[in-house]
Amino acid sequence: MKNLMKISVLGLLVVFLFTSCAKQPTQLINDSKAAIEAVVKAGGDVYAKDELKKLNDDYTAAMDEVNAQAKKLFKKYGKAKEMLAKVKTDADSVAQLIPARKEEAKNNAINAQNEAKAAFDAAKALLDKAPKGKGTKADIEAMKSDLAGLEAQLSEVQASIDQEDYFGAKDKALSIKEKADAISEQVNAAIQKVKGTR
Amino acid sequence: MKLRKKLALLIGIFELSLVFLTSGCKTPPAPPEVEQALLQEQALWGAGGSIYAPGEFQRYEHDLAEARKVLKQEELKIGLFRNYDRVRDNFRQVLQEGERIDSLIKSKKAALSQVIESRRESLHTKYETLDKLSLQINQRSFSRNHLSQADILFKEVDRLLAGSKYDEAKNRLDKIANLLDQAESVLRQQLKRYMDQAQITEWRRLAERAIEKSKASGQTVILICKLERTLTVYRAGQPVKTYEVGLGFNGLNDKLHAGDDATPEGNYQVTKKIGASKYDKGLLINYPNEEDIKKFNEAKKMGYITSATRIGGLIEIHGGGKDGLTKGCIALDDREMDELFKMIQPGTPVTIVGTTDPNNKIIGILKTV
Repeated sequence: MKNLMKISVLGLLVVFLFTSCAKQPTQLINDSKAAIEAVVKAGGDVYAKDELKKLNDDYTAAMDEVNAQAKKLFKKYGKAKEMLAKVKTDADSVAQLIPARKEEAKNNAINAQNEAKAAFDAAKALLDKAPKGKGTKADIEAMKSDLAGLEAQLSEVQASIDQEDYFGAKDKALSIKEKADAISEQVNAAIQKVKGTR
Repeated sequence: MKLRKKLALLIGIFELSLVFLTSGCKTPPAPPEVEQALLQEQALWGAGGSIYAPGEFQRYEHDLAEARKVLKQEELKIGLFRNYDRVRDNFRQVLQEGERIDSLIKSKKAALSQVIESRRESLHTKYETLDKLSLQINQRSFSRNHLSQADILFKEVDRLLAGSKYDEAKNRLDKIANLLDQAESVLRQQLKRYMDQAQITEWRRLAERAIEKSKASGQTVILICKLERTLTVYRAGQPVKTYEVGLGFNGLNDKLHAGDDATPEGNYQVTKKIGASKYDKGLLINYPNEEDIKKFNEAKKMGYITSATRIGGLIEIHGGGKDGLTKGCIALDDREMDELFKMIQPGTPVTIVGTTDPNNKIIGILKTV
């Protein structure tokens, strides 16, 4: 009788132990999900695209583990918990990376904007002092109109920066610089043309 | 002694069983297809599977998730009882589907790239035509502002295409198309008279009358065609000499008032020879004539110009260079002006027309746009 009691208590203890381990890690699931959402909100799909993809994959793998355990009689969520905790830690790390990357992109865009502006100003200054002699006046007037177009696009660079489209802003600024440099070259060629006719 | 032997035998059997069990329980490795599929999925995602083959990629992701579930179930079994045959089959199917999607993405990307490249080429041809035209007509116009912006966007498109960013490239091409349409509209508005056959017929009549007059009287007349940028001297109805000329920022338009930089059209005559003009030598013509004054007054009456606007004058044929830009005068190179100056006397009729060519270059160029 005594032995039967002991076995029963032991059995209950085992059942208790198993059921206590059988709870789905709901809090951890929610936390890791929230951490991934925070990455997306911080601009992860732009500044940490690959990392975000990996986080989503790891989260899916962790949830596969949770679901697999959920179907078992003796549930062990230890591994799933570890996986979810890692997702959360990784997501937090990625979220911390984003501001620096964003700042870097912003700085790159601003640098490119400054370079484009400098190239534009140089072309404008060159045009202003270019001799409007024989054979150059019409060319120079055409180039002035071209510069007006560049100026319009320069203001779009600022608009892109304001909208935090730093990659787009940088691309546009690079194109403006290229065109402004080409205009400067044309002005210099026109100046040489005038010198040559003298 | 017997007991010791029995005990040793039992220990031996136990140890052998232990070795068998441990080797039997050794976890067999997951099939290599599992890792291959995971790498493939990353590659397909990176290649833009969700963009270029959304339906197929979604199904692929679903099948992969299902295959992973089966793998997970298998992994939960004790090593001895694991059987990866089904897992291997599932992942092989996923890999096959992935290869199909990869080909699909590549072909879709190639097709899209071809469509975008072809649109880019077609828009660039239009850009080059308008750019050439705007430079040729040498007119002050907003068209170059639009064209310059389009040129910047073309550079952006090239960068985006190099990075396979087709959607953004397409977006820029839409902007380019819009800018080119605006540039074309400005140019067409500016040049519409040069495409109007009734107007061209009228100009031809003016020119023919001037040449007939020269033929009938043996007189020297000057015929200026603005579009062709030519000044031809006729004597007794025969062309004696043709010079290239330059006009102003707005030279292709008919002069209406002071400061419009346009060159007048109609019948005039040389009123004065100026030996020392601001631009080498000059032949002053009698702008405004009666018709110009009538047109100016009508425009004022209709409110097209303010009451303070003046009609202007001092339109000359002068030197200074045909490549220069005038404020409505007709400019020649100095050496040629010297030659013309000697040939022309006050009273020489001067006829200025837009063009006499019904198939002129403007029509030719704008037809291709």
